Amino acid sequence: MRGFIAVLRKEAIHMRRDKGTLRLALGIPVFQLILFGSIDTNVTLVPTAVFDQCRCPESRALLDELAATKTFRIERAVPNREELRAAIVAGDARVGIEIPPDYGRKRLEGTQATFLVLIDGSDNTIASQSLAAIDGWALTRSLEDLQARTGAGALPVAPRPQILFNPDTRSANLLIPGLIAILLTFSGTLLTAYAIVRERERGTLEQLMVTPVSSLEMILGKLVPYLVLAFVQLVLVLFCMHVFFRVPIHGSVLLLAGLSLIYLTSLLALGLMISARSATQIEATQAAQGVLLPSIMLSGYIFPLSSLPAPLRVLSEALPATHFVAISRGIIIRGAGFDDLLREVVALAVISAVLLTASVVIFRRKRL
Amino acid sequence: MKTTGEARADDRYGIEVRGVSHDYGPVRALRDVSLSIARGTIFGLLGPNGSGKSTLIRILCGLLRPTSGHAFVDGIDVTREADAVRKRIGYVPQRFSLYEDLTVLENLNFFARVYGLSGPRLLERRDWVIELTGIGPYRDRLAGALSGGWKQRLSLGAALMHEPRIVFLDEPTAGIDPVARRALWNLLFDLSAGGVTLLVSTHYMDEAERCSRVGYLYLSRLLVEGEPEDLVRLPEITPAGTRRVEAAIDGNPAPVMRSARALAYVREVTIFGNSLHLLVPSTIDDEAIQRDLSAQVPVDVSIRSIAPSLEDVFVRLTALQEDGPPAAKETAR
Repeated sequence: MRGFIAVLRKEAIHMRRDKGTLRLALGIPVFQLILFGSIDTNVTLVPTAVFDQCRCPESRALLDELAATKTFRIERAVPNREELRAAIVAGDARVGIEIPPDYGRKRLEGTQATFLVLIDGSDNTIASQSLAAIDGWALTRSLEDLQARTGAGALPVAPRPQILFNPDTRSANLLIPGLIAILLTFSGTLLTAYAIVRERERGTLEQLMVTPVSSLEMILGKLVPYLVLAFVQLVLVLFCMHVFFRVPIHGSVLLLAGLSLIYLTSLLALGLMISARSATQIEATQAAQGVLLPSIMLSGYIFPLSSLPAPLRVLSEALPATHFVAISRGIIIRGAGFDDLLREVVALAVISAVLLTASVVIFRRKRL
Repeated sequence: MKTTGEARADDRYGIEVRGVSHDYGPVRALRDVSLSIARGTIFGLLGPNGSGKSTLIRILCGLLRPTSGHAFVDGIDVTREADAVRKRIGYVPQRFSLYEDLTVLENLNFFARVYGLSGPRLLERRDWVIELTGIGPYRDRLAGALSGGWKQRLSLGAALMHEPRIVFLDEPTAGIDPVARRALWNLLFDLSAGGVTLLVSTHYMDEAERCSRVGYLYLSRLLVEGEPEDLVRLPEITPAGTRRVEAAIDGNPAPVMRSARALAYVREVTIFGNSLHLLVPSTIDDEAIQRDLSAQVPVDVSIRSIAPSLEDVFVRLTALQEDGPPAAKETAR
């Protein structure tokens, strides 16, 4: 216990004295949140090229209505099909529209008028949303025309969709709760990744090892001050999310703060485990990177967990980020309570306990 | 004490090493070293770089587990109860190992607390250490901003906060100036007078001569161990029918050294500043040596008989190891 207090006080002095690191530790997550949080994942204003062979009022109406969806921005007109294709290959346009010479005539006759749409398949998000927008427009236009022509009344079926939790589909509201989990993974793991190996490199660990301080006291004494720092980080990041990006928190802020302590503990323990194993700071950095990339790819932040193959899902379950992405989204977006998140909370607690035990065991094995 | 008959410590000794060997993978760092150091003595551990000095000290501090053998520190088996040993020893590593971004007082406080001191007891011990080391004027300075000599005194001070009975110092005077060296040694004498057992590794012969006992490690073996006065009288240092002479040279000793090496009767020659130490047969007199040495080089050479120094002892023992028959100790393995 005394050893724990001694190590804790020492670490607090180190932290206070190293103002540069302190500033970076607090500034970087906030900076990154502001940087990445402003990404809009809704697809709008896709650059579009047009090869219009009809040049009639009907073709102009088509283009105006497509532009009005805000999904497309008609940027250029080209004189032939080759150039339409070339514009997409060159990346100048993502979508190309070719309107045949008889488009206007067929629209007036009431026979089926076709037009060609070229879609750049190299970006999946843009391709699928562009296709959906075109399809949606064509269907709506067709139905309205048929209704006018046949004099039919209301449509036979009409859904009344209601999007829960994020009615105006602001992408910030969806992106940022997950982003927070990822940003904290980086800063939290790296905070402690150097805590032991730095002392090993500087030689101070040798002196510490001959004292009666126990491995548990060492690990906890190093963890607690960083936990305080990481918690301050979290509060700052939540504050920015709420104030700058106006993301509403539908659940309990206290619950989020409390559960984040478990998450931060698991991250710091992971950093300490890496630090206890590593011989040099470079080695620790590399080991940390080995964990951080999977945290982005496999945590459900980018790809839905359901799209991961079974072995990767097991790995995903072992990552603290996976569970906090779920907790953060649950509380912030859906207003979930403790009971709803019990499974994630238990998983995080188990991961924390395993990582802490592992750090102590690894550290102890390096001395007699 | 839960140690059994075979491995019981002898209470007269602060440090006892019995048949300790240590391997770093395929490299043998220590070979069957045995050593007994009485309480309250200053033991000097000598030997070239890589001879195993640091390895032995690290084993005694409980930082390394020996491959075989037993070591007792303050009566406790380090290989079995490293934790109990840690409370009783102080260790000053070769490299400065305190926190450079903490002040002198913060460093002392930290090590005191790690050893469980607090409150008035901590302050009392801290005052004692500050008084002993004289580091008071620098108490609020960052340790990283201290000079080499003060860093070493702070290291020693931190290692003494918990009143250890045994203190290990691994080349404590490497890289510090002569005045600071002397100050540190005076500190060590004070501690030894207070009953503390000290084990000091060093490269410096003058420091070795200040120790109450010395041991010489060479290529992972303890070649010899004893009081300096006894070591210089060892028969193999100055074999029967030989004597040691000093040739003081008025000028550059290097050419004279070459002449000395060319002489068939010179058994051993070492350079000491502006003079040479020679091991020669007793039958050759001073005049003959003087004549032979100045025959090739026109310099004044004066010859006188001398007793061997500790350095002569170690040079001779090293030479015997390298080209002579294996020493008796080697057959033990």
